[in-house]
Amino acid sequence: MAIMISIPAGITSNQASTETLTQNLSDTITQTEETINQTLTQIDCTLSSSFEGFGFAAPDTSSSGGSGFTPPDMGGSGFTPGQFGNATGVPGAFGGGAFSSGGTTAMNETLYNDINSTIDGVAAVVPSLQVSEGTEEEMEMMGRSFTTLSVDYVIEGIPLTSDTVDNYPILPTNITAGRNLQAGDSGVVLLSENNTAFFEAGVGDTIEILDETFEVIGVYGSSGVEDITTLYMDLSDAQSISNNTGYITSLTVFADNSDVVTDVATAISSLHAELTVTTGQQRLDQLEALKTTYETALESAEATVAQTQSVAFQEILVAVAATSLIVLFVMLYTVRERTKEIGTLKAIGFSNWTVMSQFMLEGVFLSLMAGAVGIAIASIAAPTLSGLLLPAVSQSTFGTRFTSANSGTTASITLTPELILIALGGAVLLGTLGSLYPAWRASRTRPAEAMRYE
Amino acid sequence: MSEAVLKLENLSKTYSLGKRNVQALSNLNLQVNKGEFAAIMGPSGSGKTTLLNVLGCLDKPTGGRVLLDDVDVTKLPEKELYKIRRGKIGFVFQTFNLLPYLNARENVELPMEGTKKTRSERRQRASELLGMVGLSGREEHRPQRLSAGEQQRVAIARALANDPAIILADEPTGNLDSKNKYEIVRLLANLNINQGTTIIMVTHDSHIAAQTERLLFLSDGKITKEKQGRHLAKKKLTCPYCGSKTQLGDKICPSCKKKL
Repeated sequence: MAIMISIPAGITSNQASTETLTQNLSDTITQTEETINQTLTQIDCTLSSSFEGFGFAAPDTSSSGGSGFTPPDMGGSGFTPGQFGNATGVPGAFGGGAFSSGGTTAMNETLYNDINSTIDGVAAVVPSLQVSEGTEEEMEMMGRSFTTLSVDYVIEGIPLTSDTVDNYPILPTNITAGRNLQAGDSGVVLLSENNTAFFEAGVGDTIEILDETFEVIGVYGSSGVEDITTLYMDLSDAQSISNNTGYITSLTVFADNSDVVTDVATAISSLHAELTVTTGQQRLDQLEALKTTYETALESAEATVAQTQSVAFQEILVAVAATSLIVLFVMLYTVRERTKEIGTLKAIGFSNWTVMSQFMLEGVFLSLMAGAVGIAIASIAAPTLSGLLLPAVSQSTFGTRFTSANSGTTASITLTPELILIALGGAVLLGTLGSLYPAWRASRTRPAEAMRYE
Repeated sequence: MSEAVLKLENLSKTYSLGKRNVQALSNLNLQVNKGEFAAIMGPSGSGKTTLLNVLGCLDKPTGGRVLLDDVDVTKLPEKELYKIRRGKIGFVFQTFNLLPYLNARENVELPMEGTKKTRSERRQRASELLGMVGLSGREEHRPQRLSAGEQQRVAIARALANDPAIILADEPTGNLDSKNKYEIVRLLANLNINQGTTIIMVTHDSHIAAQTERLLFLSDGKITKEKQGRHLAKKKLTCPYCGSKTQLGDKICPSCKKKL
């Protein structure tokens, strides 16, 4: 019985976690796609950093890779998380704080004024400064030890002028509390939902960021696979609290229209060869590649779930058969043991039906007890049992990449009341099935023969 | 003219043991009247138990009729027979056959289950019957806490539960020592005399059989001899301690002065 209960519990939890992952992934991909489509005129420019000897940087990543930590299993996807989201100010995008700003190199703000003045088709150049805050951790990799940053939050400084804020999508849009940042705001921050937990603060509260006090003006919803930990404030505020006055980490160039984006990007590259220039189209391409990776992962996850279900089905079938057989044999034995009693009962005037129903009841009672014990065992041992009996979906398919990002939804097995009811119902059914034949046999016993039986 | 409770007409029963057919009962005719106490005697294999099983509707005869209270029970289907067994017949077995997980009173209540009697009526009736067989105060005892003789008394009380037309006792004293044997036979005799209960008792024991008023000798499936019991006809019984004759109503044996 414990097995019969644990397996469905395990399947349900596996399915649930797979579904959650699927939902999160497709949500995020859709959202990012939408955002990118809206900002096809947008070109991201960051300063390439070249740190000799840091061989572990992802091979085809262009902007990060510096002193920041690039997870090895992210490299293969051809997608650099830091480029999305934080650098462009798109909430809900991939990346988040975890892998982002450590690798971006500060650029002198004034050096790039020529982009706007000399290149045709540039509508606006929005500089931004991104600073990650957290605790440094020593880590060993490939025989060398590095310091990595465990990011608590990421400060994103954006020039809050009416030109930038009102005309270009540089701020999050899904405000869940308070209001968004406005032109002229200073001394205020827009937190992500994850930030509110970290700072233990909400709209109207004041928080300390790098020893300066800020008022929380609003909160935006974070969604997607990654936890968004980026908080937004005025660029000057960000520069001054992080001692980066005059410096930025990225430039977002908006082209006049999507037709000239490529030309503008080429022009920027030739004007400033040191910059890494990424157009919306390129980001879309990267996203497509990532999407394919995710879809492959999802497919294999679904395949695993299907396989799990078929394994589970077989296991349940075996458990059901075993339970029925056990009840059958126990009841047959009981009937044999009590042949004389049955004979006596019939001799003193019990009907076949009464005898049969009594043995049926006993069988059902037996199974109900087994069911109750099974539920008790399952409620303690279900995770272990289903872990033993079922292939694990979340770990084998998604690997560390997804589970680590998604640790909140790892399989936790719960026994729902429905499952318990179904289990007890199943127990009664099996008890009835298993005791049907023995009970029938008991009732058909000829009393005269039964009496002779010792 | 006495009223016939049981009438057997040309009763036959053949068992097939492999290829061989065994004639357990052959063309047996018998009438038992209301209020009779009959003993059936005979050697092993003479058909005593077969006869009792057929009488008790536990077994079907292969020929002839069994009229119980003028109803031919051989024609009844199984789903009617259990009512006959419950209401018309009381069984007393050699091995008592009490249910070990029920106490004395519950064992006596058992045949009343499924009848119209309420729970409290059944309870009261069971207590009365246990009192009648001399087991007042032992109602809550399980069979294993009762002596063999006491267990058989419980079984007799159980047989009487539904006021049956006839008590069928299959070697009721077979598993008892001589003291208990006489106690049980006195109990049956008292029931017969005082309550008018019709009793048919199968026994091996000629001393026990001699306590009854009618002795039937069975041999090869036929009643070969019949005679009058010596004592019960004269309302006399045997003292279980000294073997001397006692009156049915005696509380103390007149010769050995022991309490009966």
